[in-house]
Amino acid sequence: MSMLNYVIRRLLFMILVLFGVSILVFGVMMLIPPGMRVSAYITHERIRPDQIDSMIELYGLRDPFPIQYVRWLGNIFRGDFGFSVTAESPVLEGFKLYFPTTLELVLYSAPLVILVGIWFGTVSAIHKDKPVDHGIRLFAIIGYSLPTFWLGLLLLMVFYGYLGVFPPGTLSNEGKDVVYSPEWIAITGLLTVDGILNWRWDIVWDALYHLILPTINLIILSSALIMRLMRSTMLEALGQDYIRTALAKGADRKTVYYKHARRNGLLPVVTISGILFAGLLAGMVITETIFTRKGIGWWMARAALQLDVPAIMFNVLFLGTVFVVVNLIVDLIYAAIDPRIRLG
Amino acid sequence: MSSDSKPTLQPASGDEDRVPESTAEKPQAGHPRWKDLGFSLKRLLKNPLTIIGLTIILFFVFLAIFAPILAPPPRPTDPFLMPHKGWKIAPSPPSKDAPLGTLPSQYDILYGVIWGARSAFKIGVLVVMANMVMGIILGSLAGYFGGLIDEIIMRITDIFYAIPLLVMGMAMVVALGRGLTSITIVLIILGWPTYTRVIRSEVLVIRDMDYIQAARASGSSHLRILLKHVLPNSIFSVIIVGSMRIGITVLIAAALSFLGLGSDAGYADWGQMVSTCRNWIVGPADNRLGYWYVVFIPGFVIALFVLGWNLLGDAIRDVFDPKMRRR
Amino acid sequence: MEKLIETRELYTDFYTFEGVVKALNGVSVVVNQGETYGLVGESGCGKSVTVRSMMRIVQSPGKIVDGKILLFFREADRSKGIDILKRSETYMISMRGDDISMIFQEASTSLNPVMSIGYQVGESFYFHRLAQMLELTVKELEEEIPRAKFFLVKGWKRIQRGLFRRELGRLTRYSAEIDRIDEQLYQLEDQEDPQSVRKKVLLNRHRDRLREKDGLVQFVRRVPFLRRYYRRLDRTVKNQVVDLLRSLGVSNPDRIVDGHPHELSGGMQQRIVIAIALACHPIMLIADEPTSNLDVTIQAQIIDLIKTLKETTIASVLFITHDLGLVAEICDRASVMYCGDVCETADVKTIFHDPLHPYTKGLLESVPKAEQVETLSTIPGVVPNLVDPPSGCRFHPRCPHTMDICLETKPPTIEYAPGHYVACYLYMDNER
Repeated sequence: MSMLNYVIRRLLFMILVLFGVSILVFGVMMLIPPGMRVSAYITHERIRPDQIDSMIELYGLRDPFPIQYVRWLGNIFRGDFGFSVTAESPVLEGFKLYFPTTLELVLYSAPLVILVGIWFGTVSAIHKDKPVDHGIRLFAIIGYSLPTFWLGLLLLMVFYGYLGVFPPGTLSNEGKDVVYSPEWIAITGLLTVDGILNWRWDIVWDALYHLILPTINLIILSSALIMRLMRSTMLEALGQDYIRTALAKGADRKTVYYKHARRNGLLPVVTISGILFAGLLAGMVITETIFTRKGIGWWMARAALQLDVPAIMFNVLFLGTVFVVVNLIVDLIYAAIDPRIRLG
Repeated sequence: MSSDSKPTLQPASGDEDRVPESTAEKPQAGHPRWKDLGFSLKRLLKNPLTIIGLTIILFFVFLAIFAPILAPPPRPTDPFLMPHKGWKIAPSPPSKDAPLGTLPSQYDILYGVIWGARSAFKIGVLVVMANMVMGIILGSLAGYFGGLIDEIIMRITDIFYAIPLLVMGMAMVVALGRGLTSITIVLIILGWPTYTRVIRSEVLVIRDMDYIQAARASGSSHLRILLKHVLPNSIFSVIIVGSMRIGITVLIAAALSFLGLGSDAGYADWGQMVSTCRNWIVGPADNRLGYWYVVFIPGFVIALFVLGWNLLGDAIRDVFDPKMRRR
Repeated sequence: MEKLIETRELYTDFYTFEGVVKALNGVSVVVNQGETYGLVGESGCGKSVTVRSMMRIVQSPGKIVDGKILLFFREADRSKGIDILKRSETYMISMRGDDISMIFQEASTSLNPVMSIGYQVGESFYFHRLAQMLELTVKELEEEIPRAKFFLVKGWKRIQRGLFRRELGRLTRYSAEIDRIDEQLYQLEDQEDPQSVRKKVLLNRHRDRLREKDGLVQFVRRVPFLRRYYRRLDRTVKNQVVDLLRSLGVSNPDRIVDGHPHELSGGMQQRIVIAIALACHPIMLIADEPTSNLDVTIQAQIIDLIKTLKETTIASVLFITHDLGLVAEICDRASVMYCGDVCETADVKTIFHDPLHPYTKGLLESVPKAEQVETLSTIPGVVPNLVDPPSGCRFHPRCPHTMDICLETKPPTIEYAPGHYVACYLYMDNER
């Protein structure tokens, strides 16, 4: 029963946090003068300057903060997130259009980042202070220091510019023709999955081909975090007394490292993985801009520059929700796998 | 624990033996006392990575301080405006005039690198110091007094953690108006939660220690206890976190600049310089890597700067982290 | 008395940041069959390092730098013993937990928190008694197969039986070969000529390579669904574990087996640690201060348990402690150690009634006695730093009878009386 209890408490807590987030982001948006915010309501081409004032009055853009906030909340609960100038459609529609692209990249890169990090971290811990260890740690700290945008540009310059492989974007032009044609049935929005469902394996390959470079980019940049964590948790586990017991039992080195130490070392990595996932999602802004992938990150970059308030607010709320939900899931998973933890 | 009932071997020997067989824990599960500082500093300097990190940082300090001499500004009132010889759009390769080449519209890369060091330091150090102060104040309050204050502060921290940094940062910078000052302000506002949490957890540990209870019993005021006992012992963890965060801060600031939220074109701002290369990734057909210097150099400088701080921060953490001190 | 294990002039050093810690300074200890041997000394005197060297699990940055460690376990080894310092790590791995077992001080941290008790105890069976476990499982399956009605179930059991049989067969063949190699190695034990040395190296290498498993079995173990067949073996092992725990006085073993260490009390945890150590009926048990962190009552229980086990399953016990009372209670013979040196060795009665070495005397005197009214006597001085130990006899700075020679060279160990050894220049003339 206490498990249910715990989950309910966390959910309530989540709602509280999200409210806080919404207030904060709304407050920031209120700093923008009404004249610019009114663009969210302009769904057609031209507006005469004198009409702007009346529109501001109409939408209550000069009303006090609490009133505007409540009004906005009311709209949200009715499913109305406003109109996005940059998406040229209601915010929800824009989201449905852009999100699958981002999701696809995150779904392919997050597990790889984690696996690469775990593997190298383990190797690093096992061969502590030997050249392999130093090499891996050096690689990790360099990867950690690289600017996200720079590595992507360099990769593009070498692979795409010089070698002519791995172009930016999500699909080749031919691929795009196929996907935008009426025969294409987009069920999930994820190109690789839809490709299989439509039995167009050439599209699947095309999408994967365009995913390779951004994934490599993300792996180099983000696995460093996991690598370092894995290394330190493994080393800590290896210093524990139960390793001594395992040795005295007659365990061979492989068993000691991979069964006894690594299991204990993986636990904190689980928690970080959740944060990593949420972080990757939020950090897509740069990656998508560089590789010209039209996902929510790319959308946000444009939305911020053009002060597309509804879009910004929606995405901040969305990403915040993802963060909080992922944390809850991760905590539950952690409690499930660590026998020492009993929730309540 | 059996102590008096059975005869045991406890002759009047003082120190614990130095053999690692017995894990002699220090009385506080905290940080080295200030007198261990000398030992720690020596270890710090023995680490080759520290030396490299420090060298890199000192190199950039040199660039920043001597910028007016190394790269005399064409317009003294606005030193961050980069000089440009001519208006040709395509970047020029390294030459006698521009040792590192030029950006599109002929802005001198070397100049930008040198003066950009100043901005980088300004943003990095300012944001981290401000965040450290905020973190120390809020963290100590939350950890020491507990209760409602703690709850409120921690909830606010959670809210800030949930906010996506880049997206929110972008929005805020645009709302406040673009520029490096806005970026600095925004990063200060968004960055304090990490430090708060770190200090709070340190304070929580220290708060229950015996000598704090003794101080309370002898009538010290809360403020005195905070300043005299709690803070000096929790400072180390902030220093560790801070030194590791300078790198990230500069990276995020550069990212924001890259997206166009920093200085305008033509100003010495590393992130902005990188953004100019986006149209020049692929050179002419006969020399496809032709504009490599635009793509490579400004970003490399950022990476080097951040690497220096990360190396130093790592070394500091290795030396001061109580778990890793033996050996 | 037949010798069981002997260390000769064992030197172990630790290469730390602060310098080289010369932990063992030529330790020679002989444990005989069937006796309980006590290793006494203060914290840091090298008792744990000695036994960890014996099992070759010295923690880094430590290294055994000189000496011999001889085992006389098998009948065939009677005359000269096997110097395990010359054997491969694979050899040691097969020995640890099987021939020699060790239990440690802090039971709660000695158990892996994320693994079930059953698995941790059962691991010993997997390492050393795999053949028996496989045999048992095959036998059980043999009985079940005729009784199984549903043909799929029957087929599945047949597959299980087949795979286990394969594994068993290979194991048996290879263990016979390993025995032969060991015999050859034993014959070449003392021979140091280059040809023999090379042969020994080749034999060791061959021995290591024999550990590979059957190809088919390995393949099936990787196939996601099929590999569940191995659970059958897990069940057999678990039953063995339950039996073992029950015999050690653990109540509700079938529930505990699925639980985790943190759910148990300190005394129970120590029993589990003992269970792990005894699972394969070792010839010798090393107990490194197993009761130092327990309540007096629990301590008594564990000591009783060890005494009982000594009579039934284990032949010999090497007991480390700083508690003289325990030594008096359960040990037959004991060695007193100080700073990496063995000061005195004798049977327990002699140590208490007729101590020779000044350190032993000092220790016995510092124990407060019931009728004592004056100030407690102590040994003046402090335990020295082993990075820079005192020259000659390491006890000389604190000894009331220091002579010039004590500062020059380490005193050799002499046999003052039959079975009574002491390393002190005071007794040099009385040598037999």
